[in-house]
Amino acid sequence: MDPVMMKVLDSTMVSICREMGIVLMQTSYSTIFNEALDFSCAIANRDGDMIACAEFCPAQIGGMPLMAKSVVKEIPLDQIYEGDVILHNDPYRGGLHTPEHTLFKPIFVDDEIRGFAVSIGHIAEVGGMVPGGFCGEATEIFHEGLRIPPVKIVSKGKDNEDIWRLMLANVRTPRYNFGDLRALISAVDLGERRMKEIYEKYGVDAVDQTCNDLMDYSERRMRAEIKQIPDGIYPFEDVVEDDGIEDRQYKIFVEVHKDGDDIVADFTGSAKQAKGPINATLGVTMSATYNALLHMTDPTIPKNSGCFRPIRVVAPAGTVVNVDFPAPEVGGNTETHPRIAGTVIGALAQVIPHLSMAAEGCTHGNFVFGGVHADTKEFFACYDIEVVGWGGRSFADGNDACDSINGNCRVTPVEVFEARYPWRVEDWVFREDSAGAGKHRGGVGYTKTLTCLNDEIIISQMTDRHKTQPWGLNGGLPGGMGATLFMKSGSSEWQTAVQAYNKNSPSKFSNISIVKGDRVQLVMPAGGGYGAPPDRDPEAVREDVAEGYVSADAARDIYGQRGADK
Amino acid sequence: MRLAANGLYIEEYVKCANCGSLIYESELPSTVAVEGKGLFCSQWCVDWAKKREERKEQGS
Amino acid sequence: MKYLLGVDIGGTFTDFVSFNQESNAVEVWKNPSTPHDPFDGVLTGLEQMEQIGDVQRLRLGTTIATNAILQRAGANVAYITTKGFRDIPFIQRGNRKAHYDMTWVKAKPLVKRRHCYEIDERVDARGEVITPLDEDEVRALAAKIRSEGVVEAIAVNFLFSYLNPAHELRLKDIFLEEAPDLPISISYEVLPKWKEYERASTTLADAYLKPLVGRSFDSMNKRFDELGLEGRVAVMKSNGGECSFAAAAAQPVQMTVSGPTGGVVASRALSKLIDMPNLVTFDMGGTSTDCATIINGEEKFTTSFEIEWGLPIQIPMIDVRTIGAGGGSIAWIDKGGLLQVGPQSAGADPAPACYGLGGDQATVTDANLVLGRLNADEFLGGKMSIDASKAHEVVKKVADELTMGVEETANAIVQIANNNMVGALRSVLLERGHDPRDFALLGFGGAGPLHINELVVLENIPHAVVPVHPGQFSALGFVMTDARTDKQRTIQQTSARFDSDGASALMKDLVDMAVNELRGQGFTEELEIYRNIDLRYLGQNYELQLPYSASEFTEEGLADMWKRFHEAHEARFNFHIPGETIEMVNLSTAVVAPSQKPELATLPKGSGSPPQKGERNIWFDSAFEASAVYDRADFLDGHRVEGPAIIREVASTTVLCPGFGARADSYGNLHITKAGS
Repeated sequence: MDPVMMKVLDSTMVSICREMGIVLMQTSYSTIFNEALDFSCAIANRDGDMIACAEFCPAQIGGMPLMAKSVVKEIPLDQIYEGDVILHNDPYRGGLHTPEHTLFKPIFVDDEIRGFAVSIGHIAEVGGMVPGGFCGEATEIFHEGLRIPPVKIVSKGKDNEDIWRLMLANVRTPRYNFGDLRALISAVDLGERRMKEIYEKYGVDAVDQTCNDLMDYSERRMRAEIKQIPDGIYPFEDVVEDDGIEDRQYKIFVEVHKDGDDIVADFTGSAKQAKGPINATLGVTMSATYNALLHMTDPTIPKNSGCFRPIRVVAPAGTVVNVDFPAPEVGGNTETHPRIAGTVIGALAQVIPHLSMAAEGCTHGNFVFGGVHADTKEFFACYDIEVVGWGGRSFADGNDACDSINGNCRVTPVEVFEARYPWRVEDWVFREDSAGAGKHRGGVGYTKTLTCLNDEIIISQMTDRHKTQPWGLNGGLPGGMGATLFMKSGSSEWQTAVQAYNKNSPSKFSNISIVKGDRVQLVMPAGGGYGAPPDRDPEAVREDVAEGYVSADAARDIYGQRGADK
Repeated sequence: MRLAANGLYIEEYVKCANCGSLIYESELPSTVAVEGKGLFCSQWCVDWAKKREERKEQGS
Repeated sequence: MKYLLGVDIGGTFTDFVSFNQESNAVEVWKNPSTPHDPFDGVLTGLEQMEQIGDVQRLRLGTTIATNAILQRAGANVAYITTKGFRDIPFIQRGNRKAHYDMTWVKAKPLVKRRHCYEIDERVDARGEVITPLDEDEVRALAAKIRSEGVVEAIAVNFLFSYLNPAHELRLKDIFLEEAPDLPISISYEVLPKWKEYERASTTLADAYLKPLVGRSFDSMNKRFDELGLEGRVAVMKSNGGECSFAAAAAQPVQMTVSGPTGGVVASRALSKLIDMPNLVTFDMGGTSTDCATIINGEEKFTTSFEIEWGLPIQIPMIDVRTIGAGGGSIAWIDKGGLLQVGPQSAGADPAPACYGLGGDQATVTDANLVLGRLNADEFLGGKMSIDASKAHEVVKKVADELTMGVEETANAIVQIANNNMVGALRSVLLERGHDPRDFALLGFGGAGPLHINELVVLENIPHAVVPVHPGQFSALGFVMTDARTDKQRTIQQTSARFDSDGASALMKDLVDMAVNELRGQGFTEELEIYRNIDLRYLGQNYELQLPYSASEFTEEGLADMWKRFHEAHEARFNFHIPGETIEMVNLSTAVVAPSQKPELATLPKGSGSPPQKGERNIWFDSAFEASAVYDRADFLDGHRVEGPAIIREVASTTVLCPGFGARADSYGNLHITKAGS
């Protein structure tokens, strides 16, 4: 092991991934890419192990190894040629959900494949039942858009145009999809080029050896962290409140087995898979488990497949945590992922509370819409991400307005949103008393109100926490719930989708027709609190009252602080 | 997971009876079949499932 | 009036450069900075100048704005915005600094939420007023803020004000009537570009700084007067240009990166002087390192600066990347048993262990001492004594933990520090799509010349340059710069539908504003006018900037511009989309009032090598090697020496590795290349 070479190569590869990400951000078309940054870039070796990534989306990073595995299983290495680009989005072959498009470009050195440059991006429009990918009422994978098994969209440097024609004929916004795919290809082109330079500079053997050393190093560091957790079996459970089809809860149950420097997360006991789209693939469940543990360990450990080696996931087939074909599953990756990660954190919080946090809002809002823009006559489709309050921690309040744990996305500015889509944003405000109270309170949630300016916009949503609250920890109170409310043009009453449109669920629905003047209000959940509210520093309570995050009533009744006036 | 003979589509999804991971045909040699329990991707999974049942019996 | 002065207030030292316009002589000196009142250190340094009345102009680089924000020492600001949107500064963008860090705490904006106010008004995405400004509400708010007496400055940010500023401008007028003593920053004047959070953050920073900067500059002006300084006094802006104290106080957010731009300006001047169009600068000090690029003889600008993670300041500024790593960075062993260097720094207190000021952890400086690259007896020309045994002792502690030799450990510390520096270089080269092989590395700052040779090896840069006066290079840049004003505005037009008259009028407006600003500062000479446009494919959200030289948008000019965009996209991203609609997003202008530039003196011709001043054992890779010692002052034009060698000067030391040679050019800059090349 050459420690200097390891450090040099690790930071070089991370900066290559970052450079790939910059190209993606700067050239892509959808706001979910270029404003929200819902993409990741990584380098993998030829076995499909991830050897480096940059600061992107945790859901995609943890899901990458399984996707890489299915690529090399289905396209033998001797049939992959220099200049190929392989596209893959199939949830039933290791993928996460249909919008997540993963591109692999082989890295050849001296006519031999050494690894892959990988880019993963959420493409907003994938065909299927609703514009924007998230169909809250899907009952089959086929409702959720085009499934793409590992196929070459570029063959030896030339676009495989038959594949492109087929794909672009099946989506509503082909111009945008084309632009986004070009951006993803540009990123893997760059990664391939840079990695070749690295191989030429240091030599194939030295690079491969160092990459193996790096994964061993990350594994060693993970094991050292895991070792500090007391041995034992720690159960925890949470629920997804409904599946968009039936009004009942779906249990996510985990037993975290900690033994020495190994961890097994056994999800046996979780609910049977749902009819609606809240199911997670095994890839999602593994990714969520990794995500929880990476959040609870030293953030400076280099992020590669070595980190995952001490962690085993047991997720029985046919359950909400490992769905069987052909059930729908688009929400598994966004909504069930944070719930799964949260149960792992909740389980370990029993023994390492100082490294834990209370539940965050655990949703991205997943508000999707589409239609024909009255000004441009062009079809638009948008996947809008909203952020939540994070959970309180033993040492600090939860962060206000922060993306849920499985993403690291940005909200889209009002000025970009209104320039692109025919909505007017009326307000975007924090909700007083939404944060779960605690010694360290949860992060605050917000409300955003939209008015439709188009003749018609078709909207769908796939969210959660409208009926169940984000839990508190160690005496902290739960955070405020979310909601999606409608006020039809001419009315003055806010109603849920159940009340206004006769939907099964207030949080998961599809193809509601919104017309000019109708209003939609997105209320995002807040984070749970940590520790008992009366233990909160009185100065912090006074500050929260002065800042309008906590009402004087709550300061008195929940925190026991009198006279904390604004 | 079994592909059709022509290699163009999936005929059957095969998953480990314990951990739920997808088992490709090329991986069959390393799997373990247990009478009445199904196909396991590894001996580790056979053992783990057995231990889980034992714990359940002790607990109940 | 023969002197041009540059003064750079740094964290540890305040640097001075004086240029004598009659003799072309450059003098440099430094004295300790005075953090409690940075201007004390300036005055102390100026008192050493006998002919202060003979100073034609003085330019100052100051960290006053940066420090006020980082230390949260600015004003109580009120934020006034469109009804429904007072939480934008707190919601921010919702992403996290790192993807797996539960300990992260979101950045706090420069305003309290209780000082955020909403006004009933609204402009839509086309710039049309849909709710008129409620002027009574504005008047009432002004009266309330004035009577409460808590708020010291106002920041205003209405949605879509970059398309239609009428409401912001009217609000400003009302506030000037109702509360004339309160400084006010409106987003249209600070950053007329889309994306409300970035604009809010930038406008808030401007208001936050105004009271403090105004007071400081007033007091500084008085003290300069008392000192008898009659020449023009100016301050360095983040765009590398200077402006008057009054102009800086009117928009202090322009100064958030003041000092480090000097090194870039000096690098640009050097680039022309020595005819090396592509340079990457490496300014390494005790606690931080700044990197930037000069490409085709021009510095690069950015509008995506963040003063701390999550707090953007998006005015156009020189693209300088700063990392918190330098000679004082501390070596330590992580939980996986791997040696790490930084980000913790010993700074000036306790300082590297060898300073003998109580530091007991190994730093990069200590490691350099162990390797023989620094000499304890010659530090800062012998003015400061340092303790080699102490350095050895602290490095040995690390070595024992790693079960490695002391020198091997010191070498590993230096290599890992170098690797951290390479990360900064990559952020301005590779991550911007530039190939290091097309560049020369220019190393300055106290520690830059120590590391520069190894860095060019690591990063495949073929050529390194150590300029004259590397220890005061930034201050030298202040002497060489111009007055410069940048203006920008968002415009949304496409290649499919383009309003040439509207675009031409907007560009003219921007240029006129910039020209008037410079004329207002007393610049009567002919001005240089540069125009730029930001373009992207319709649908993309990030732009490529292209120069546009004409003042009007003609049909031919446009056709050429669309064509150039496709080419630029291909060059930057390796692909373009033929036939795709192109969107024009921003117009910008830079107007420059050129000042007379100093001409640096040249050296007499020399041949062979300068006299060798002894020999020292220096560690390279795996062993000590006998290395020649030279004095920088002995170098004449054309002198060449071969590595391994050390070249000493008062404020710095250049390390020359085995297999490399250094040659002095006619100005005395040292050029390091592979031996035989």
